[in-house]
Order: sequence, then C-alpha cells, then structure tokens
Amino acid sequence: MIKFGKGNLRIPKWQRPVYVVAGGLTPFRKRFPEYKMEELCAMAYRQMTQENDLLLSPKEIKGLLNFAAYGEFADHFQDQLLCEAKVHDYLGLDPLPNIGVKTGGATGGSTVLAAAMAIASGYADCVLAMGWERMDEVDTKTGNFYISTAACKDFETRLARMYTAYYAPMARRFTEIYKVSETTRAKIAVKNRLYAYYSPYAQQGGKHTIEEVLSSKMICDPLRVLECCAMSVGAASMLLCSEELAYELSEKPCRLYIAGGTHTLRVADRRHMDIPMLPHEKSGMYDELLKEITAQGGRWPGFESFLAARFAAYMLYRMAGIKNPIEDLDLVELHDAFTISDLQTYGDIGLRPYGEETDYIESGDAYFGGKCPSNLSGGLLGTMHAVGATGIFQGIECLWQIQNKYDKFHGDTKIWEYCKKEKPKDWISLQVLKAKKALWISHAGVGSHVTAGLLEKAF
Amino acid sequence: MGKEIKYTGTPLKIIQEKPEMVVEWPRSLKHFHTYGKLTKFFQELKNGRLFATYCSNFNCEEKRLWLPPRADCPDCNQLTSWIEVPNPVIGEVYTFTKVEYPGEGIELEYPYFQIDIDLGSQFATIFKSYLLYGEPYIGMEVIAGFRTDNPTNTILDIFWIPKK
Repeated sequence: MIKFGKGNLRIPKWQRPVYVVAGGLTPFRKRFPEYKMEELCAMAYRQMTQENDLLLSPKEIKGLLNFAAYGEFADHFQDQLLCEAKVHDYLGLDPLPNIGVKTGGATGGSTVLAAAMAIASGYADCVLAMGWERMDEVDTKTGNFYISTAACKDFETRLARMYTAYYAPMARRFTEIYKVSETTRAKIAVKNRLYAYYSPYAQQGGKHTIEEVLSSKMICDPLRVLECCAMSVGAASMLLCSEELAYELSEKPCRLYIAGGTHTLRVADRRHMDIPMLPHEKSGMYDELLKEITAQGGRWPGFESFLAARFAAYMLYRMAGIKNPIEDLDLVELHDAFTISDLQTYGDIGLRPYGEETDYIESGDAYFGGKCPSNLSGGLLGTMHAVGATGIFQGIECLWQIQNKYDKFHGDTKIWEYCKKEKPKDWISLQVLKAKKALWISHAGVGSHVTAGLLEKAF
Repeated sequence: MGKEIKYTGTPLKIIQEKPEMVVEWPRSLKHFHTYGKLTKFFQELKNGRLFATYCSNFNCEEKRLWLPPRADCPDCNQLTSWIEVPNPVIGEVYTFTKVEYPGEGIELEYPYFQIDIDLGSQFATIFKSYLLYGEPYIGMEVIAGFRTDNPTNTILDIFWIPKK
C-alpha cells in the first residue's frame, strides 16, 4: 500500500517561470538510412532556430545557450553509448554542460522536465531539450526484444520478448472491468492515424476504417497491429528559456509547467491504494466504482489505470492552476503507443472520471472540432515513436497549436518537401482556433514513468 | 620495418550503397544474468517448490507475501524472509493474452497464453507466467507446475495448468 507522507504530495514550486519559444522536428520514418543520428539532430535543431520566427539569429541564439538536456531511450539500438557527447559536439555546443536522460518511453518528457528545472532553478537561462532514437539498425523482432527488456528481466521479459504482450493483459482487464467495446479502441486508431495523414512528419498516417483496424493482424490478443505504434527514427528539438529571454526571442512565447510521476516496472506489483484526487474531483465520487472493482477482484490502479499519470496530473494541475482539464484545456497530446494506453489515460488525467473513459471518444470531445481534441499531431500510432524524441515532439506540436502555426508547420508545401513527402490533395488544417492551453503526456513502460506538461499562451 | 598488423576481422556485408551506405554488423554476444538474493527462488523452482518472501519487520504494515519475491521490503526497506507456498499452488487467472507475435529469441512455442495469476488475498502482488495447455478465462483456476526435468534456470521453470 502506498501511503503518502506529508512531504510526498508537495506541489513543485519553481524559483521563476519557464518558457518555450521554438521547436524543430525531422520527418519520422521506419528506416532512415540517408542520415546518421547526429545529422538528424542537426536537422531538427536547424528547424528550431531558423523556422520559428525567432527574433534573434541562429548564431545569437547559440550564444545564449547555457545547458542542454538530451533524451535517448536505448543506447543498444544504435550501439552508441554517450551519443549525447556526439550530438553535443556535432551541434557545436561544447563545452556547455549537458546531461543525458533515460526514462523509457517518457524520456522525451523527462528531458523537457530536466531542461525546465535548469531554468527554474536559475542554473541556466536558455536550454536546448533534444531527443532522438534510431531504431532501424536492428530488425523488427530484435527491436521488439530490446524494448521488452524494459519489462522485468527476471520475471517478465522471457514471457514474451514483445512489449505488446505486457499491454494486452491490461487491455483485457480494462475491457472486462469497464465493459469496453473493442470498437472504441479501434476508433482511437482510426482517429490518430487519420490526423497523421495530414502531417508531413508522419510515418504511418492513413485513412483507415474501424473494420480495417479490427481485422488487422493480431499481435497479442486483444491488441492488433493497427492498435500499436511502430518503431521510428527521428529527432525533436525544443528551446526553453527564462521569462526575460522569452520576449527577446519570440513574439509568441508559451509558459511551461511540467511534473512527473512513477510506478512499479511490473504492473502486477501495483497494490491497491487510495486514488489521489484531481482538483475537480469530489471526495467519495469513486466509492461505488471501487466497490465494483474490488468485487471483481480488482484494485486501483491495478491493471486498468496509471498511478504515475494520475500523480503527474495531480501535481501539474495544481502548479498550473487547472481546475477542470476538460474545461480548461484546448487540446491534449497523449501517449498512444497502444490504443489501450491512450484510453486508460483519459481517466488518469481527468478528461473523464474513472470508469467513463470511453465517453471521451464516443462523445466526440476527443476529435478535431470537439471540446478538447487529442493527438492532432497523429500521435504515436500515426506519426512517430522515435522514443527519446516522442515527449519533445508532443510538446512541440502543442506549442505550434498555441502559436497558431499548425498550418505553417504542417501545411506549407516547403515543409512537405523538407519531409520528402507529397502533400495530400485533400489536406485540411487541424489548427485549433484560439488555443491557449495544451497538455501532453509522456509515458514509459507500462506506466513506470510519466510526465505531464502544459503550455500556456503568454502573448 | 616491424611486424605488420594484420586485419583479423570479417569484411562487412554491404546492405545498400545508395543513397547512402549501410553495412551489416553481425554480433554474437554473451551476457550474464545475476539472480542475487533471488537465487533461492530460481533454485527451488527446479525442485518443484515455489517460494515467496514476506517482510519480517514486526512494525511494517505490509504483512502479505511478495511473489515475485523481493529480498528487501519496499515499504520499510528492511530485509524480507523466505516462505514456501505449499503445493499444490492454486490461483485464478486475473488476466491474460494470447502471444501471437513474440520478439526475437522467444523460448516458447507460439502462439501461447501468457497469464497473470491472482494467488489470493495473502499475496500483495499478481504473478505473471504462462499456461502450458488449454484456453484461459478470467477467474479460471490454475495449478502451478514445475520444469524439474531439463530446467531452464529461468522464470520459465514454472508454468500453470488448468485445475480441471
């Protein structure tokens, strides 16, 4: 049983505000043999410094940097330990200090958290947060084995060597407890892959039907191939700074809040505990649900929910003054590595109460034009999961939405040429009008690490 | 002129030359897997016995058993003690998946059912394993079996079979 001591639920108090002013992405591909990893990082860095309407030159911006945080999930994919040093040198940033961050699928989010803490503490005024992954130097089955070593090597890895097999039991349990139709999960895949269709960066966007998803190849029952993200290659680069620098650098800076949470590596080790309540949730509102769950041999968070996401949201909402996420947020980017992880998270971060997660999809709220659309970037299912870059990519997509630059970075013909893709003739803009607040979730393992980040319009 | 240093490797196979070059880099690496204080658990599987741990700190609130075992209690951070879970070990399927597409190096014939087993309220945790035969359902009773002949020296030395 996790019981919180009086210090455990302290809300982070930064010494000063932190801002994000720019982002840069590479296209994301299953294989990317045209470039070495550091060359892809340089590409993302160039887009960040040259294409974000910054008020200073790339040389001047470089002269402002004090620190860099770098995210890479797995050294062994590309057989390069200390890739941070290689990238840092390649970008010409020596001898500025940098740190490497590794928290599985949440590496990107944790990298932004590390960069933000450097500014909030006063260690730095201007920080580069960059993440990357190169997953094409092994074959897919070997890659799946490598990823499965992010399950417990003593008790889990040998039981599948495939990460989908650690999510599938959660999907089955969630379906059983909450009586979820697999059609709802399929709708998530259809939605996010459709949004990826409009993104030049996307690896596997497409116009799929629910029937196609439900008839696609079974990987680990009940999860099918179109419900799973793919391995990716690519990089993402974000520029963070102090308040003073934010307005020197940009006419459209966004204020950043970000917090993290964790839970056990093995889902099966998650003991029943009290639910930490979000600001809009009322004491006792889950009493009946918990009775039902325990009557079915369940527990909270158990196999259905993510304490790490709930804890991160608990902290973030109080840091950022979010009273009710579905009312206060204009859009979200969630970690849809699998349809089920996306669905589970709706309850954790309070888009819906626990037990009513499917309504976020079924009501239309999650769609473009809905109350709080999710994964307009195409998410992990459609656009990318170059793991170390993912949590940075999601934040950048939030930034561009708030800056009203979705069209600039997704619709401009030059961007499609940059990504070496043909712009669809039926391309449409997914710009959310007058977006002011956007949240993104960066998530690792089966919920071992989660960061919740929020960007707020500050212009 | 001194001794000429010879190249002793094997030239790498070119996978592609255009637009940029990629070469194959074959590996055959041996790793070791350290069982540490969990050694007893793995050794006893080979004897057909299942061992869990419990916190022997009288003041610790968590009295339930840890399975998978932990050598240290996560609540009070004191050492745990071993206890045998007597045979027949019976549990219920808590959830499961049919693994149709496993990763490289899988040691089980597939497809197979990976199952999570609830061993009852005296256990703090759920135990992940696989079903030797049959089709699982949530709530299905299963009995632990052990690979005492030709053990693998891994977690695959325990499996489960339907009770009926």
